[in-house]
Order: sequence, then structure tokens, then C-alpha cells
Amino acid sequence: MKKSTQVALILLITSLIAFNLFGVQRFPRPEFENGYQQPETILNAPRALFFEYFDLAVLIGSLSLITWLILKKRSRKAVFWVMIFSLLYFGFYRKGCICPVGSLQNVTLALFNPEYSLPINGIAFFIIPLVFTLFFGRTFCAGVCPLGAIQDVFALRPVSLKSWVQSLLGLIPFIYLGLAVLFAATASDFIVCRYDPFVGFFRHNASFMMFAIGGILLFISVFIARPYCRFLCPYGVLLNLVSRFSKKHLTIAPSACISCRLCENSCPFGAIDKPTGAKFKQPSNVLVKKLILYCLIIPFLMAVCGWTASKYYESFAKVNFKVKLATEIMQSKNSESEVIPLEITAFRSSGNSEEVLFEEAKVILNRFYLGNWFLGGFIGLVFGLTLARLTIIPYKTDYTTNKGTCFSCARCVDYCPVKE
Amino acid sequence: MDNKKLNRREFINKGVRIGIGVGIGVIGYELLSRTLSSKTVWQIDPAKCIQCGKCATSCVLEQSAVKCLHVYQMCGYCDLCSGYLRPETKELTTGAENQLCPTSAIERKYIDDPYFEYHINEELCIGCGKCVKGCGAFGNGSLQLQVQHELCVNCNQCAIARECPSEAFSRVPASSPYLLKGFGGK
Amino acid sequence: MFKKFDLKNFGTDQLWNRIALVSGIFALLVCVLLIGNYIQVKKADPINMKVINSLVERLHKDPSDVKLREEIRTLDLLSRKAYFTSKWQIRTGGYFVLAAIALMVISLQIISYRKTIVPQLSPENDDNTMAYRNKTRVFIVTGGSLILATALIFAILATNELKEKFAVQEINEETPIENNSDLITQAADSLVLEIIDTTGTSNITIKHTVASAFTNNDSVNEKSAASSKDNFPTFRGPGGNGIAKQKNIPISWDGSTGDNIRWKTAIPLPGYNSPIIWGNKIFVTGANTAKREVYCINRNTGAMIWTVVVENIPNSPGQAPKVIAETGHAAPTAATDGIGVYAIFSNGDIIGLDMDGKKLWAENLGVPGNHYGHSSSLMIFKDLVIVQYDQKTSPKLMALSTKTGKTVWSTNRDVKISWASPVIVNTGKRTEIILAAEPFVASYNPADGKELWKIDCISGEVGPSVAYANGMVFSVNDYSKLAAIKIGADQPTVLWENTDYLSDIPSPVATDKYLILSTSYGLTVCYDAVTGEKYWEKEFGNNVYASPIIAEGKVYLMDKTGIMHIFKADKEYVSLGEPKLGEPSVCTPAFTNGFIYLRGDKNLYSIGK
Repeated sequence: MKKSTQVALILLITSLIAFNLFGVQRFPRPEFENGYQQPETILNAPRALFFEYFDLAVLIGSLSLITWLILKKRSRKAVFWVMIFSLLYFGFYRKGCICPVGSLQNVTLALFNPEYSLPINGIAFFIIPLVFTLFFGRTFCAGVCPLGAIQDVFALRPVSLKSWVQSLLGLIPFIYLGLAVLFAATASDFIVCRYDPFVGFFRHNASFMMFAIGGILLFISVFIARPYCRFLCPYGVLLNLVSRFSKKHLTIAPSACISCRLCENSCPFGAIDKPTGAKFKQPSNVLVKKLILYCLIIPFLMAVCGWTASKYYESFAKVNFKVKLATEIMQSKNSESEVIPLEITAFRSSGNSEEVLFEEAKVILNRFYLGNWFLGGFIGLVFGLTLARLTIIPYKTDYTTNKGTCFSCARCVDYCPVKE
Repeated sequence: MDNKKLNRREFINKGVRIGIGVGIGVIGYELLSRTLSSKTVWQIDPAKCIQCGKCATSCVLEQSAVKCLHVYQMCGYCDLCSGYLRPETKELTTGAENQLCPTSAIERKYIDDPYFEYHINEELCIGCGKCVKGCGAFGNGSLQLQVQHELCVNCNQCAIARECPSEAFSRVPASSPYLLKGFGGK
Repeated sequence: MFKKFDLKNFGTDQLWNRIALVSGIFALLVCVLLIGNYIQVKKADPINMKVINSLVERLHKDPSDVKLREEIRTLDLLSRKAYFTSKWQIRTGGYFVLAAIALMVISLQIISYRKTIVPQLSPENDDNTMAYRNKTRVFIVTGGSLILATALIFAILATNELKEKFAVQEINEETPIENNSDLITQAADSLVLEIIDTTGTSNITIKHTVASAFTNNDSVNEKSAASSKDNFPTFRGPGGNGIAKQKNIPISWDGSTGDNIRWKTAIPLPGYNSPIIWGNKIFVTGANTAKREVYCINRNTGAMIWTVVVENIPNSPGQAPKVIAETGHAAPTAATDGIGVYAIFSNGDIIGLDMDGKKLWAENLGVPGNHYGHSSSLMIFKDLVIVQYDQKTSPKLMALSTKTGKTVWSTNRDVKISWASPVIVNTGKRTEIILAAEPFVASYNPADGKELWKIDCISGEVGPSVAYANGMVFSVNDYSKLAAIKIGADQPTVLWENTDYLSDIPSPVATDKYLILSTSYGLTVCYDAVTGEKYWEKEFGNNVYASPIIAEGKVYLMDKTGIMHIFKADKEYVSLGEPKLGEPSVCTPAFTNGFIYLRGDKNLYSIGK
């Protein structure tokens, strides 16, 4: 017994020497004569890996189920119940993390920073809804996304927005996406997670601001259905673009549309396209000219927006921890203030060299400079394409769902008199 | 003619669809071919931690998932424990006026003259790190702040990590989820 | 399943409406209460109450106040109860709100669930697609251009200069820092005085040119001078003259209670050398017969940053030389110039490391013939490490390159063994290295090692280094004499001397007016530096091995038991404090602004808040 404790002690001391960067055994552990049993430090294991794969299975299962219910069964009620299940499972049970909206940033970070190790679930949650959307439309939005679900249950008195308001507000998600990608690619911040308005409800806990924003959005969603999905969600942008080319998609009528106009006001999201009629069958010369004009403007618009955004790169870069730290250190050298920020104290005690920090900060600044050019260019492109697209009016005789903005919630199905 | 037009549109759609599919595939392959972690969790590196106290306030949980853990192997069982007692304390008693812990989460137990065992009551611990600071400054550093994984909800972006001034938070493999120092010498 | 339990007949719409209304109002009420609770908790911060902290502070001043103690206990209990109760309230309230809102949503959903869909046709059937599209376009164009215009204006006004600033920061750090830039600044001042003193007013032009030469030098080194203010690069401060430039040095602490002790760190191997500081790094060395180590410690936390074992040095003897216990194997203090750190040990091993502990060079200077053990500390002049090697055979003064360790110059000295350390001062005309060893005090040109002057005035086994102030050098040794040497003329002269109190270990320290001399038997005496008139003497009772340092006009003198005697460097003896370290110490203190660093037998301490 005694010998074994001695051996343990020697081992312990040698291990401590190995760790002497951290601490020094100033007071040796006493040897107890009275048979004292040293308690074990209890280290609780994190949630088992099995459950992570279970989450993945639930995601695939519920996506398949809801897709089948939308495309084959065409049942709004069944979709509703799947949505409630997702809200309870992915929302209140899994507390919202990891969700595809957030995983967008993990994937971006991984693509730009090879050293970042991305968990398998991160990739799966990003890609699986995209693949489903590519084949069947935005069935993920219909009732698997917990963020959509929590707004959908509040959509009690929806009013329809004017289509120009929708188009205008619909540009916000593009900007949000651009910013999210910029900050994730520079390993600065996950702004989508930081400003996630609903995750606080799922965790029953959040900062006051988070609750306030979430509460306001939920209140708005009583009248304007799914405001976050339509006018903020950056992942929705990707799904929107992919869904336009989906192989199959929810249709209002199971067979031919009889243009009875009954579904006209059925969609709370304003995602039903009306027939354009025969008068737009041939594009007029004016419209063609406009289209050419807008297409010519796009590169110019991109350049101006890019240049403008590039001027803001330092303000953006200050979100990054290293740039912020370097700035603070620089300022603290010039100021006489006695109060040293915690960050600087921590940095000084880490023993890292300032030179290296400033070098790294400069690299990040360069990334931001380039990133801001791209961000500005992207915003310019989105605006330009939106304007150009408005001149193209596809010839259409039926009432159809807009494949980009439709959430495949299947509300309109109940309005359609055609049942076979 | 309409038919022709529709066919053309269908063809373009198909082409773009295949393009997107290939794109997603390439991204997926690119990411999957990297070194992947099957699961990662947040943890504090005690060597970087400066015990600023933000763990207690920044966590998304109402009572932080960060707790003080006691590595008993490293403990000196001191009577005058700088992690338990306020500095300048004259009497080495368990009186509230002497205790450093704001929630009285450290329990002191007499073992053998002059040695005491210190136990953290995790239900009371709020992860403020005051005791960790005290122990690290004058003692052996056996008290260390760690993310308690039974409580942590493993947010995609940890709210404390965002606020941490010393960048002590990082994602570690779930297979070795704790970064306690001096714990290897069993 | 739903058919059996038909929602259509379960309660009337009116009932569900009322349930929704009531639960909605309830949720709203609880919400308001929760917000109130939240604000209260945020405001009061019950787990970190200032009241309790101030009461505890009061109790520490008067530990016998039982009533106050009871008060603290009650208050503490109350605040903790309040904290956990409010946590409980927020949690329970949160569940209430959630339940109420869920109920409200469920009832409203039930109503809409069973509402028969009545499609309504819009009254107008005008095809307004075109109108809407035009409107959209107008709004996008106007809105977009408005945003763009505002952004453009701010973009034009925005200044982006961080990158350049960071680059400047890097350059500043890369410039080789001359550790004697402080001396140069000081020299520029004293030089002006000196010239006025010696030549009167006729030579103003010279004063100008010389001063401007220094000013030029200054402006180049302005940044590094500012940064070296924080540093304490060698034994007894810059130049080894016992004067510290640092400010706000603490005068009270207590090692046994930890009062005002920022951290303490055990130093693995023993050594009687003193800490030296550059930036955030403290360096000390330690050695025994078998092992020699250099330690780098974080100045702010006390954490050991690195340890370098000094081994595998060419020509290093297999066995350490015999030394006495009071000297040990690591008596000489190391030196640093911000680029490297340089350390010497009892066996003649000398090593140069960079700031990260990487070995730059190492060699053995030959085992010093020294019956107590080698103890002369290293000094730095520009890019030279100055080594006083007054040993039995071929005593010499050497200058090694800080970059390579190669000997740049070496001057033989016709002296006996000494244990003193070099002092580098700028006398106004030039920079000199001043050494003391039997039989003389001598000065050397640090650039080439040429002897500048010498004067026979010392004998015996010389331990104390000299002190310098205002053109006067003070040398002392036991069984010899205290001599005040006026330098500046071609041949130095002894202005006054005294044999009443003599030191064999602590070095004297001088200001323009006073000379403070401490003896190893614990008596400290203060003389007028110019006349030699004795102002006061003070017996401290304990032996003293460490040398006194003057900082902010205060003398810091550590006795062997670990008591720091702090008193004014003044005509009268005024004690400013006698704080105890609680650990024996023979090492001279080191300083940074606001902090003092002490090495005891086992531990290194940082003192200050």
C-alpha cells in the first residue's frame, strides 16, 4: 500500500514536471496515515456519439416522411403534425444546435480554413436538406426546420403582402448570407448563431436582447407569416436558388389547373404566381432594351458596391478577436489609462509575441479587404440580377407555386377544387 | 412551338440541376476527404484561462455549464487554502466572512491535522473562477475551470468562447472531453 | 386515430377563444414579472455584493468585531438565498410563460384547424403584374441607390490605417533595442551640467553640438527608451549602479498572509542571483553541483514560461568546482538586452539564449580559480556581454558578442580574485566600466577594453561593487576602507575616505547628495556624498547580503531573514516600512512600475497590485 502510494507520488511529480508550464506543486500532497481515501474527480461524459447519428437518422427520416406527405399524400394536416414533431425534437429537445442554418457557417469556415475540423454532423446537416431540395423543393422548410416551425404555429392571422414589398424585403437574406459567409470565412464570428432569434426559446434561456428580438419576430409572425424564413434566413437563400431547379415540386392542382382563382389568396407567404396571360407572350422591344441595359449595368454596379464595401473592411475586421486584440494593444501603448483590458492582460500572460500577433492581424485584415470586395460585388450582382429579372415575364397560363419562395407547406392544396 | 419551348426550358433546368448536384457533391467530397472529427465539444484550456469571471455570466444556460473541478491528486490539502479563504483572512474557519466562494459551493472537510479536503458542490458552483484564481496564485493549482459536459448543450458557437478574453475555449474531440492539467499522473 | 377523438366537437370556438385570451394575458403578466425580476438581479448582483466585500475589509482591520462578523454572515446568507430564489423564480416563470403561450397557440390552432376553408376571390381581376413589377423596380432602384449613396459618403470619409499602424508596431519591435538608451538620455542631461560646470559659459556651442548629437540618438531610440522603462535588465538595474527608474513601488506586503503578494513561484534549483526583467519575462538562474538551469517566468502570472538546462557545453568540466554554501553554483545574476538573455555559472559555463529560450551560443570560459565560487554578475553594453573574470590565474575583463559569444576584446588585469560586479556608467564624457579588486579601482572603455584610469585604494577579498553618482565613484571593502573617488580629470583623486563601517558583501549605492552603505552585519550608514560627513547610522539587527537599491528616493534593503527595510535616501533616517517576505533572502530586488520582484531561498515573488 505504502509503496504503491510512493510510486504514485513519483509518477505524479514527474507528470507535474512535464506540466510545469502550468503550475508548480508548491505544497506536496500529504501522506495520510488514517486510511483516508482520496475521492475521484468526477468527469461526466458528453452526450454519446450514438445520439449524434440518431439525430442524423431523425433528420433523414422526417425529411423523407414530409416529402412523401407533400408530394404524394398532399396533406396539409399531416405536414402540420410532422412540423410539430420537428419543433419538439430539433427545437425543444435538441435545443436547436446544430441546425442547417448555422452549419452553413461551419462549412464555410472549413472550406476557407483547412485546419478547422468539421464534425460529420455539420456536413450532413448542411448537405442533406440541399439534396432533398434539389429533388423535391423546399420540403425541409415546410416542417423539418425548427426555426420555421416555431413561426409557422404562430401564423394565425396572416395578411398578404404586396408583391413589391416582398421582392424588396427578399433582398435582405442575400446580404445577410454574404455577411455570414464573410465572417465565417475569416474565422471571426458566427453571426447567424449570434443573432438566432429563436434558439433562446428552445433552451428556455437567452440574453434579454435575444428574447426581445425573438418575441417581436413571433408577434410579427402572427400577421406576417414566417418573417425570419422569408426576409432573413441565409440558408433559405441557398434553398431558394436550388429549389428553382428542383426535379419535382409541390403543385397546387394534382393535375391540370382550371384557373378557378380559388387558391389566389391561400398562400400566406405570397408564393403563388398568377398566370401572365397572352399579352406577354411576346416580349416587347422596350423590355428587351431594358434587359440589355440592366445587364450592362451589372458589372458597373458590382464594381461600385465592391469598392464601397472594401472601404469598410477595418470596421468589419474589428469583429475578429485577433484584430481587436492587436488594436487594443496598440491603443494601450499610446494611452496613459491605467485600466488594462482583460484581453491584453490575458495576452501578456500567454507569453506570445506581439510581433506575431500584429503579423497575424495584418493577414486577417488583408482577408477582410478581399472579402469585402467580394461581399460588395455580390450585393451589387444580386441587386442587378433582381432588376434584370423583373423585365423577364415568363409566359404562363396556370396558377403555380413559385418554386423559389414556396415552402411546400401544402396550404394551397386544400383550396384547390381539383382533387384527382 | 410551346412544346418546344417547354422542352427547352426543361432541358436547361435539368442541366442546371445536374450542375448544382455536382457542386454539392464536390463540396461534400472536399469536406469529407478532410480530417473529420466525429464529434467535438467545447472545453477550457486551464493553462490559458485567466479566471476573468465571464464563464459565470456569458453561458446561455441560466447557471453556467462551466464548473470548478477539483483535481484531488494535485491538492496539497492545505489548512490555509487560498482557493477557499479570502485573502487576508485571519481565522481559518468556515465562517461566511472568510469564504472566497460567493455561493459557498466549496465544502471543507477535516481529514488529519492539519489537512483538509475540499469538495466542490456543483449544484451551487456558478463557475466564477474566484477559487481557481486563488488556488493558482498561491497554491498548487488543483482547482480548475472546466465545461461540465453533462450540462453543456454544445452550442454551435459557444457564447462564453465568444466573450473569453484569453481564447481559452476550443473544440476538443468528444473522446477526450476534459483538459485538466496534472491529471495524467494516476 | 383523429377520427375517434374528433376535434371538431371538442369545445366551442367561443370556449377556445376565451382560453386563448386568458392564457395570453397570463403569459403577458408573468413575462412582465420576469423582466422585473431580471432587472432586479442584474442591478443587485447578489453574488458579488460590494457591501459584503467592504464589510469583510473592515473586519480584517478589526478581527475581534464579533457583531460585524455576524452581520456579514447574515447578509451573505440572505444574498445567496436571494440569488438562488431569483434563479428559481426565473426558471419556474419561464416554464409558466412557455405553457401559457403553448396553450394559447393550441387553442387558436384548434379554432383555425376546424374552420372550413372558404376560398375568397379578390374583387379585382385586373392583371397588375406589370404595375407591381414597375413599382418593385422603382423601389429597388431608389432604395438601393439611397443606401449606396450613404455608404459611399461614409466610405469616402472612412480612414483605413490599421494595416499601416500594425506594420509600424512590428517595425518598432524589430528595431534593436539599445538597453543603455536610458543612460544616453540621462547622459545628455548630465553632460550639459558637466560642461557648464567645468568650462563656464564660453563653450555654449560645444554644449549644443554634443547635446544635439545625443538628441538625434534619442529620437531614434525614443520608442525603445519608452519600452525599456519597464525593464530591469541586469544586476542592480541598468548599468548595475543600484538606481531603479521605476515608479509606484509598493512599500507594504506580507508573505505569510499573502497580503499584496501577486504571485509566488518556486524556483526549482537554488541560486543567489537576482531576478532580471525584460518586457513580460523575468529571468533567474539556478544550479547545483550536477545541473545548471535558466528559468523564464511570466511577469504577470508567475507561470514558468520556459526552463533551459545548460548542458553539452564544449570544454565544460565534468565536475563542478568546489564552492562554499554561501556562494553556491549560480551566484552571478544573468543579463538581458531584450534580444537575448545571458547567464554564467560557477564552472565557467556561459550561455546566450534568445527570449524564447532557444540557445544562441554557449561556451566555457575555463573553470574560474575562486575558493568561494565565482559571483561577478554579467553586464551588457550595446551588443557586448561584459564579464569580470577576476580569478586566480590570468584575471581579466572580457567582452563577448551577444550574437555569437565570440570574444570581442579581453583585457588582462593585474589584480587578486574579486567577487564584485562591473558597473557601467556614463560620466558625461564617455561610458566607462568601473571595476574594483585588490589593489585598485579601475575604469575601462567598453568599446575596446582599454584601461581609462586606475587608483590604488582597495585591498582584500573584494565583494562589493562600486557605486557611482555625479562624477564620484565609491568603493569599499572590509578590512580596507571606504573611498570616495572624484573622476573626470585625467587622474582620479580620493576626495575623502572612512574606515568606521565597512562592507564585505552588500554594495553601496549613491545619489548626487548621499551615499548609503550597508554592511553585512546589519548596520546601515548614510554619508554626505561630497564631504563624507556622516548623517546617520542604523542597526537593523539581522545580517544583510543583498545590495540596497534606490527607487523613487526610497532605499530598498533586504536582510537575510526576509525583512525589507524601506527608508528614505535622506539626511534623516525615516523608515517607510519593514514588510516581511516570510522567507530568507540574499538576493537584490528587481522592479517594474508598480511592482517589486524578490527572490527568496525557494520562491520568486511578485509584489504589488
